[in-house]
Amino acid sequence: MSTIAETAPRAQTRRRMRVDGWRWAGRIFLVFMLLYTALPMIWMLITSIKSGFAATQFPPQWWPDEPTLASYQKLLDPQNSVGQDFLRFFWNSLFVSTVTTILSVIVAVPAAYAFSRFSFPGRNFLFFAVLLRNMFPAVIFLVPLFILMRAIGLINTHGSLILTYLTFGLPLAIWLLKGFYDNIPVQLEQAARIDGATRFQAFIMIVMPLSTPGIIATAIYSFIGAWNEYIYAYTFLSKNEQLTLPVGIQRFFSENTTDFPGLMAASFMMSVPVVVLFLVLQRYFVRALTEGAVKH
Amino acid sequence: MAHVVLQDLVKSYGGFKAVNHVSLTVNDGEFVALVGPSGCGKTTTLNLVAGLTPITSGDIIIGERVVNDLDPKDRDIAMVFQNYALYPQKSVYKNLAFPLQMRKLPKDEIDKKVKEAARVLDMTHLLERKPRELSGGQQQRVALGRALVRDPAVFLMDEPLSNLDAKLRVQMRSEIKRFHQDLKATIIYVTHDQLEAVTMADKMAVMNGGYLQQYDSPAQVFAHPVNMFVASFIGSPAMSLIPLQASTANGNTVLTGAEGWRLELSPRNAQKVARATTKKVVLGARHSTIKLHKNALPGSVPAKAYTVEPTGDVTFVQAFLSGAVVNVSVPPNIAVAPDEQIWLEFDQERMHLFDGETEMALKAN
Repeated sequence: MSTIAETAPRAQTRRRMRVDGWRWAGRIFLVFMLLYTALPMIWMLITSIKSGFAATQFPPQWWPDEPTLASYQKLLDPQNSVGQDFLRFFWNSLFVSTVTTILSVIVAVPAAYAFSRFSFPGRNFLFFAVLLRNMFPAVIFLVPLFILMRAIGLINTHGSLILTYLTFGLPLAIWLLKGFYDNIPVQLEQAARIDGATRFQAFIMIVMPLSTPGIIATAIYSFIGAWNEYIYAYTFLSKNEQLTLPVGIQRFFSENTTDFPGLMAASFMMSVPVVVLFLVLQRYFVRALTEGAVKH
Repeated sequence: MAHVVLQDLVKSYGGFKAVNHVSLTVNDGEFVALVGPSGCGKTTTLNLVAGLTPITSGDIIIGERVVNDLDPKDRDIAMVFQNYALYPQKSVYKNLAFPLQMRKLPKDEIDKKVKEAARVLDMTHLLERKPRELSGGQQQRVALGRALVRDPAVFLMDEPLSNLDAKLRVQMRSEIKRFHQDLKATIIYVTHDQLEAVTMADKMAVMNGGYLQQYDSPAQVFAHPVNMFVASFIGSPAMSLIPLQASTANGNTVLTGAEGWRLELSPRNAQKVARATTKKVVLGARHSTIKLHKNALPGSVPAKAYTVEPTGDVTFVQAFLSGAVVNVSVPPNIAVAPDEQIWLEFDQERMHLFDGETEMALKAN
């Protein structure tokens, strides 16, 4: 007995030490990941407040001698031709991404609900068929979609992009939302229907509020996908006044000298809406809304 | 309140019949328990009455109306779910108010009714809480409150107590029974726990494999089970069912065990056995109707004790007899050891006899 009593705590401390070692390894790994993702962003910010000359110096200035917001002023100035372009691209991107998001939520919510709650012939087949598009690299569809868009006269319209982005975003949106609906107990709707609601009212009044986190996650996902997309926007649109931001920003390269501070300032401002969107809505991701609904 | 009639009710999923030609009448103000093992069709039957599942054929009548094609909201029913199904985003007050709001009652009337229900169920102090901030028992009460707040024609309850711990379950059991007596409510109550059914219900409908096996008062079901399934399902510990061979010689009917012992039957029991379709007869006996002897008395049969379970009030002895397990209860002062040779005496007046082929109870006339 005494030997067990003596060895047991030692074994325990040894085990705890080992767990700590892993934990530290994990922390170090996370710090590296943080540097890996954060450093380019920081460098982007620092470069955006340099003068054009300072940005191309070597060795680089880690912190600009004369920080300036001139690049931002130029981009946001509607009098200036660069500013006009930037603001127009920004607006185009916002328009395309917002419409894509709204449409994908409008389609994905009832589709996911149907896949989750109703059984109908071909349900499984359809459910996996929506993923078919995501099994291929996006580029494969570039030429076919271009031909298709030309045939229906959508080339050089934002409609072509919205339609295309929907085909990217919808399948995953439906899958994501179906998971949410699967987790909402069907008894909640049944209770609502017995309490006097129609099936539709039960959906709107009980199920929809509970699936808000899922809808928001889906919306952010669609928005980011559309906001960042480059290759289709580059292919389908050729008129300057229609370009979206990722394509528009490219123009900073195409002048005789690359305006690095301007490019970085534009990139930074392009990332602002996504970050803000995420920060504002992130609590919905975390909140476990259905907690306490039913006893498991 | 209203009565409920199920007429030849069928629900099939493809070729599988979950509810198979079930007919029964629940009288106004009656508490009926649908009881059976899992998968027996009791919850499906309840969902058919609620209108949550469309019926395949048959009729459901609530009050004077055939409600076959009516939406759940138009059937004037209330339901308590096993997992309570409280609206998680709504406070207790709003949970209780929801059925009234859906019926477009004026606000002050809603307020009055919600507060009255909260008072009856002793949860006025919980009205502002969200369901997740309540204990299991409190959630159960809110679910009950949401059902009674609007005075429906019929209450449907789907295993409302099975998620509670044992102590709370006993307490809520008597509360629901009291609730039924006070409100004179028509209640259809689904449970897999035969004890709940026996203790609470006016009548119980025993189901198995989608079929209604027996529909009667708990006392009748207990005393006169129609077949071997009902006999073994109702009562705890379960009724012992012993397969035996019947034979008649010199006008006496005798049952023979696999070990070779013989049990002579009373004239009345002999009459029952005469109606069997086969020589195989199953003897059913509840633990309390079997006497345990330490030596061979006339009319007793030899067996070997297998396990002995003292519970305090009474000691349960399990013995093997003719390939079946027999439960016997003895007073705690009688000591029985495992593997001890014992003799069992069956009460001829209270024993049950079943046809070995059809599994139906044998009747004297």
